[in-house]
Amino acid sequence: MRNTWLVARREFTENVQTKGFWLGVITTPLLLLLAVNAQRWLDSRTPTRAFVVVDPGGLYVEAIDAAIERLHQREVLREFGQYVSKHALRDEAPTALDLEDTPAVDVDKLIEQVSDANPAAVDAFVTKGGVTMALAMIQGRLAADAPPFEEPRRSFVRVPLPDGIDPEASPADVAEALRPWLRGDRTIPLDDRNVDLFAAVVIPPEVIDHVIRPGGMPQPPSTAESVQFWAANLADTDLASEVERAINEAQRREAFAELDVDEATVRAAQGTSVPMVKLNPTKAAGREQVSMADQIRQWAPAGFVYLLWISIFAIASMLLNNTIEEKSNRLVEVLLSSITPWELMTGKLAGIAAAGLTMVSTWLAALVGVLWWQAGPQAEFARSLLEVVTGSGLLPAFLAYFVLGYLLYGSIFLALGSICNTLKEAQNMMQPVMIVMIVPLLTMVFIPKDPNGTLARVMSWIPLYTPFVMMNRAAASPPAVDFYGTSVLLACSVLFTLWLAGRIFSVGILRTGQPPRLVELLHWLTRRDAAS
Amino acid sequence: MSTEAPVLILENLRKTFGSFTAVDGVSLTVPRGSVYGFLGPNGAGKTTTLRMALSIYQPTAGSIRVLGRPSALEVRHRIGYLPEERGLYKKMRARDIIAYFASLKGMPTAAARARADELLERYGLAEFARYRCEALSKGMGQKVQVLATIAHAPEFVILDEPFSGLDPVNQQVLEELIDDLRRAGTTIIFSTHIMEHAERLCDRLVLIARGRAVFDGTLSEARRMIPRRILLRTTGDPDGLRQVPGVVGIERLTDDQFELTLTEDGEPDAVLAACFQNGLPLLAFDRSEPTLRDVFLRLVGPADAVEEVA
Repeated sequence: MRNTWLVARREFTENVQTKGFWLGVITTPLLLLLAVNAQRWLDSRTPTRAFVVVDPGGLYVEAIDAAIERLHQREVLREFGQYVSKHALRDEAPTALDLEDTPAVDVDKLIEQVSDANPAAVDAFVTKGGVTMALAMIQGRLAADAPPFEEPRRSFVRVPLPDGIDPEASPADVAEALRPWLRGDRTIPLDDRNVDLFAAVVIPPEVIDHVIRPGGMPQPPSTAESVQFWAANLADTDLASEVERAINEAQRREAFAELDVDEATVRAAQGTSVPMVKLNPTKAAGREQVSMADQIRQWAPAGFVYLLWISIFAIASMLLNNTIEEKSNRLVEVLLSSITPWELMTGKLAGIAAAGLTMVSTWLAALVGVLWWQAGPQAEFARSLLEVVTGSGLLPAFLAYFVLGYLLYGSIFLALGSICNTLKEAQNMMQPVMIVMIVPLLTMVFIPKDPNGTLARVMSWIPLYTPFVMMNRAAASPPAVDFYGTSVLLACSVLFTLWLAGRIFSVGILRTGQPPRLVELLHWLTRRDAAS
Repeated sequence: MSTEAPVLILENLRKTFGSFTAVDGVSLTVPRGSVYGFLGPNGAGKTTTLRMALSIYQPTAGSIRVLGRPSALEVRHRIGYLPEERGLYKKMRARDIIAYFASLKGMPTAAARARADELLERYGLAEFARYRCEALSKGMGQKVQVLATIAHAPEFVILDEPFSGLDPVNQQVLEELIDDLRRAGTTIIFSTHIMEHAERLCDRLVLIARGRAVFDGTLSEARRMIPRRILLRTTGDPDGLRQVPGVVGIERLTDDQFELTLTEDGEPDAVLAACFQNGLPLLAFDRSEPTLRDVFLRLVGPADAVEEVA
């Protein structure tokens, strides 16, 4: 026991002093910060995009302008909301958010709401005077050190046609003439700079005769009879969809008028809905409603599986490298004249696990820290999220599966390391193990959708996958037979693998020359005197 | 020789790896307090025998008693072992590595550290105590490893090829260290193929060739294994010396050079006296003792030994 402890302590102190360890400790939070901020940074970097509208018939240009303005005001409103919640004085503690009672958000519905952005709210904001008015209203309720509110940059600006293009020409000719600008060969002035033309919306007047109406024979419209959206950038579809929506809105409004239907009435009718709640029969009476917490619990396991996989793999690899070092410089002989192979092996397993866990804990701490720091107004949400995760019983499961999974893979890696002389040899031997290990990562996304389905159940019973798959299923209360059965099987497999690895380790660690063939390995395992 | 129980007894030790027999029935006894040499060419089975003595390998057959126990594992805290191939943890500091190995041998951690400092000081390495092993020269690293081997003050030390790779100065330091250990009563086994070291340091030695112990005994016993020779240079005829008891042969090497072969108890002094009695005009009389090298060559056979002794 003492020797195991001594070996473990050395492995720990030596490993936490390596550059690799500190690199691992530092890079993960850095990457995390980067990932969190990348989107924000990219947004701030995206330039204001200029586009032209060619609408000789004057059909939709006003509708498009209005839609683009509304889009901008929506941005302003959102930024302003964040600005206020960040800098406003708080008279009372923020109301604690209880995720257990917050109904689960239907993601599709949420997107719909946000993207349609409740036109009434935006319109109200604008008609009341926009930001200027709003700022005046909250004057005196802002913290003294609050920076002035900065209106966000416009995402899109409509610019006039470039000089030299005849707006009276046919739309097809205008589109042709715009090509050099759209390709980026020529630039157009915007404010006091010259920018690329992002897109051109060409609206042939005859499009009005080809409006698609329900009941009509669907006929594929020709380009000349369609609204044309010209843009070299295919990835940024925001403008295209905004324009399409604006045109259709305008067209429908027209249709309401033609049919002599009051638009407000239609909107009122469209705004009605029947309440619907999602209930989970396994929850306590009175609290059956599927809550945010339930959803987090449903999806958090996937995060844990990923963390489990990364940490087991990273730590077991450390073990492999370290064993090969000891073997290649023959230190192992001195060690084995002092302690048994078993003590050496268990000491290494424990010491490196401690070093690895330290690293994983710093990752977790970084994750929590970044969440906290970045969340700002959502700090309440982040805290509640943590409470849900810590209170859900997922953490003990994670720890248990980490220990068992690590012992399983760690002993396999140790045995591999003990029969290889160089890292290169080991990498060849690792390939099959890698293929086996990649599987739970691939199934990670499918399993929560059918957590007690055939795939999940079958994989749970394969000890190599038990930790990952059972972790994945943890939220779906798998059948007791699965839970206990696989746990027992996993524990037995761990013991068996440890024993097996111990035998291979004690023979292999002193061996030099070619790695043994499979037949030889079997020989080591079966012969009584082979293990030494 | 001490009358105490021997430190190591090997009886009919055998070790096979698959179809290959590495050690084929070695028996030997290492008395307490002796410096015991393990001689033999590469691949003779020295290291395998030592590893079995240390219970790193289990023998295929035969019995072992180390410090009175059937397995070195039971007494490993009283044994120090320096393997033939050297290695240190590259990133560890000299002092830490000595202390680590001492603590694995059962020394309390604090005592092990103090002992490491003391040893580094005594053998002139104090200034390198805080160096990482990768920053040490090869010879220095080897010294650190020897110190790590003896840090827990073992009563029985096994050194496998301790001199290989050391320059003459460091060889001298190591010889002194072995001498220190001997005077402290430590029993030492060391394997070597440098006969001069064995001659200088060993009380007893075993010669291993092709997995067998071809000789086990004291240095003088070893010398007696081969006939004594006298080299004579004379202008006269040494034939009359055949009458001297113990002389078994005279061979003419060159015009005036003769080699006399004596039996084991033949007295070179008697031969010299006879030379004077016979009035033989002596140009030279060389009664050199047979060296261990001669014994080695004779027992191992030139074919096996050529690589080693060259």
